[in-house]
Amino acid sequence: MTTYKSTPSGQGIFYLFVLPFAVLTAVFGVWPIILSIGVSFTASSTALKPNPTFVGMANYLAILADPVFLASLRGTLIYTALAVISTIGLSLVYALFLNSALISRGRALFKLAIFLPVVTPDIAGYVVWRWLYDQSFGALNEILRAVGLPAFGGLAFESTAMISILVAELWHHVGFYVVIFLANLALCDKGTAEAAEIDGANAWQKFWHVTLPELKPALMVNSVYALIQYLKTFTVVAVMTKGGPNDSTNFISYYAYQLFDQGRYGEATAMATILFAIVIILALGMMRVQERGAKT
Amino acid sequence: MIVKKIANGLVAMGAALLVGSVSAQELVVWHDLGENGITWFQKMSAEFAKVRPGVTVKSISYPTDQWFGRAISAINTDTAPDLIYNNYERVIRVADQTGKLMDLKPVLAQVGDKAFLSEDDLRVAVHGPKMIILPIQRVQMGFGVRKSWLEKVGEKFPATWADVQRIAVKFRDNDPDGSGKKNTFGLALEAAKPRDLVHIIDLFMFGSGLRHTIIDPQGKIVVDEPAHAKVLEEVLKAFTEYRYVAPDTINHSFSEMYQVIEGGRAGMFRVGDWNVKKWDTQAIKGDFLVGPWPSFDPARKNAVVIGGMRGVAVPENSPNKALAIEFAKFMLSKPAQQASLDTVGSAVRSDLDVSALSERQKFFAVPSGPLNAYDFPEATHAFYPELEAAYHRKLLGALSKPPANWRVFISETANEMRDLTAKLAAKK
Repeated sequence: MTTYKSTPSGQGIFYLFVLPFAVLTAVFGVWPIILSIGVSFTASSTALKPNPTFVGMANYLAILADPVFLASLRGTLIYTALAVISTIGLSLVYALFLNSALISRGRALFKLAIFLPVVTPDIAGYVVWRWLYDQSFGALNEILRAVGLPAFGGLAFESTAMISILVAELWHHVGFYVVIFLANLALCDKGTAEAAEIDGANAWQKFWHVTLPELKPALMVNSVYALIQYLKTFTVVAVMTKGGPNDSTNFISYYAYQLFDQGRYGEATAMATILFAIVIILALGMMRVQERGAKT
Repeated sequence: MIVKKIANGLVAMGAALLVGSVSAQELVVWHDLGENGITWFQKMSAEFAKVRPGVTVKSISYPTDQWFGRAISAINTDTAPDLIYNNYERVIRVADQTGKLMDLKPVLAQVGDKAFLSEDDLRVAVHGPKMIILPIQRVQMGFGVRKSWLEKVGEKFPATWADVQRIAVKFRDNDPDGSGKKNTFGLALEAAKPRDLVHIIDLFMFGSGLRHTIIDPQGKIVVDEPAHAKVLEEVLKAFTEYRYVAPDTINHSFSEMYQVIEGGRAGMFRVGDWNVKKWDTQAIKGDFLVGPWPSFDPARKNAVVIGGMRGVAVPENSPNKALAIEFAKFMLSKPAQQASLDTVGSAVRSDLDVSALSERQKFFAVPSGPLNAYDFPEATHAFYPELEAAYHRKLLGALSKPPANWRVFISETANEMRDLTAKLAAKK
């Protein structure tokens, strides 16, 4: 069989087709990142001038000495860990539920219900969640009051703000991850599960020893994607809490944005660069671990 | 034959374009005033064409965040618009990041009719050695109260902080909107971002006749001076133990504050001169009174606050610089200022026709009481945004976990700000 790569002219055609996308990626993907990293080594007051002043690592040292940044970094990592675990857990359970014989009717309705928030504009969704949590007229506390339960602090208190925005984010994102799991489940070999059942495996054993190993590709894609997504959490914070109360949801993306707003471009891009490095390291680390797991 | 016709047509088109480019000139202005601003510039363009036939002014409105980036990058890359228009503190940032805004002192000197510009107006326009804007629109803010709610609870427009406190409790507890529910609040405030909370404190400080909120022009922290500490303590308590505001206010920025005001959930609020036109006909539908900010001390006169100045700046690399300067001067003329008052709701001239304005619009257009202008610390202290952000963070912590003793907290905060000021001043 002849492939494009096997002959010089075939390779030429291949590169010709790839070229526009490679150029677009370089110009709109890689170049802004390089520029941003460059700005992180310049003085904020000259950052956007044609000849900015180079300050070496000063911006990095400044933010690493900033207790708000360190708290923001800690908050971002805690939130990401909580969000990734709950997203993967919830979406896996929901996908298994949709894939099971438990629901013979209404499967389409359940699929629609979980996927609809994914296609809902995120800002509109989060504004509604903010209203749901509102302390004076929010539906959530109205319901709690009606059934005689104490009010939920929602976004107004440090102790409940993070969990409140996490719930809103799960509502918005879980459907996407469910679809990936469903795609993987559709490819699973049903014969293996049947063989396990004949051998006397119970439901848990079938899930743990048969289904879960077959779901490794989806688990890897979903967990890496979720990790990247939640480390960069921004919109939900901008819409619902603006980093508050008292910085309890002031994650790195939002904190960097606040510094941009104050004209502190050097420190803001230094933060963005650190976040970028964390995302790359964690995502690559996670992929490496899962690839090793797949080989063993 | 056909080829000849096409060639003739092309020649004619080219000639038309050439003639057009010679006789017609277009000035481009970038601002962030939205639809009202676009209408204002259209009106000014029509008026300017009467004195400069063939010249049109095209305005482009960007969201504020985008305006910054576009203005700075365009000026730095010699693709600047002819003029930029915005609040003074935003133009300062453009000036700092580009170093390419014209000194407008000689331009203002050429304007004959300018007696209406006050010292405060002109002080704001200056940044370092340069006058970076011509002041065009004063931004005034008064204290607003829902008229029907006042009548319902048997009160008059509040003059003192004690009045505000009494009315706030009634607005919260006496069902002033007649809904039968406890869903109303005394005050609509905001606290989420540094500018939000400090803005609210600014309004009460300057409205009560004080001259600074955090720092004076000499770099001295004023937070714990007795008169300042009193206002600060009361405003912080309004968020916390007095419970005059909605519990979520700690996360409220401008848009959420407007939702509380326009949604009829709070009875006392900030009224900007630019709000009145809308609130006269929509949302509040004229059911509000405007006055000066409450007094905290009979020894000081309370006031309406001048919270900023919008002005026009000319980049050094403006493509049509001479014409841009001419238009900038024209923006201080009576027709341009009248258009500003009619469309945006503010101006700097005092000789404009206000007969078509509502009583509330006249309150701002023809001020009858004291006006107290912000001290514009950004213009004096380059590190001010960082200082303000740190101050805000400290206050937010107190709103989240109120201290046992506010005076001690204020004193500690002042000392922290002193340390930070010394550090920031040394760094800059």
